[in-house]
Amino acid sequence: MKIQLLCFAAMKDFFPAQWDLHLEGVRTLSDLKLYLQNQNPKASSLLKISRFAINQTIVREEEIIFDGAVIAVLPPSSGG
Amino acid sequence: MNTETHSNHIQTEILEIPNRFPDLPSMGGYVFFAGIVRNINEGRQVTHLEYEAYPEMADKMISDIIEDAKKQWDLQFADCIHRLGVLNIGEVAVIVSTGAVHRDEAYLANRYIIDRVKHEVAIWKKEYYTDGSSEWSKGCQDETHKH
Repeated sequence: MKIQLLCFAAMKDFFPAQWDLHLEGVRTLSDLKLYLQNQNPKASSLLKISRFAINQTIVREEEIIFDGAVIAVLPPSSGG
Repeated sequence: MNTETHSNHIQTEILEIPNRFPDLPSMGGYVFFAGIVRNINEGRQVTHLEYEAYPEMADKMISDIIEDAKKQWDLQFADCIHRLGVLNIGEVAVIVSTGAVHRDEAYLANRYIIDRVKHEVAIWKKEYYTDGSSEWSKGCQDETHKH
């Protein structure tokens, strides 16, 4: 399965801002989170408090990932 | 009812303070809020800020928040624009403007919109300090939202 991962703000200290990924054995966002933690354990604490969006809609971690999805990792917001 | 909403809530240009109110004859109360870049955060002297967003998503999220506000209060006008990019001390980071027949709804809706924009919308702030260091804001940890 091929996805595009978008990382913002502090998450870019751990992963590229845009990343094309070929995933095997990753079914849900929860699996993806684990995959990312394994790729870079230093990102774990920020991943824990981040939200995920698939194609610009925030979804729960149980959400199933599909081929071609654009997945964004959103650290806690700090606008305003 | 004449209801207006801005179609683009994210902008890189300097945010100007409007010198006219929306032209709505039955609007009796208009609340304008400006969030301004300040020179200190958690005891550290800030030189400037940089805002980053997931712009398409942030724009839609702000639209949805304004729509939610309109469901709760009888508003005649509601808008919110958030700045992106590098901002210096004293520059306007965000504006929220709300108008209603009476002031109470305009005040309440304005507070509701800015609180949700600060805490939910896909926008992030990087602070630059006088010692040359910089850091991404950790986001809101304060559940009272009174800040």
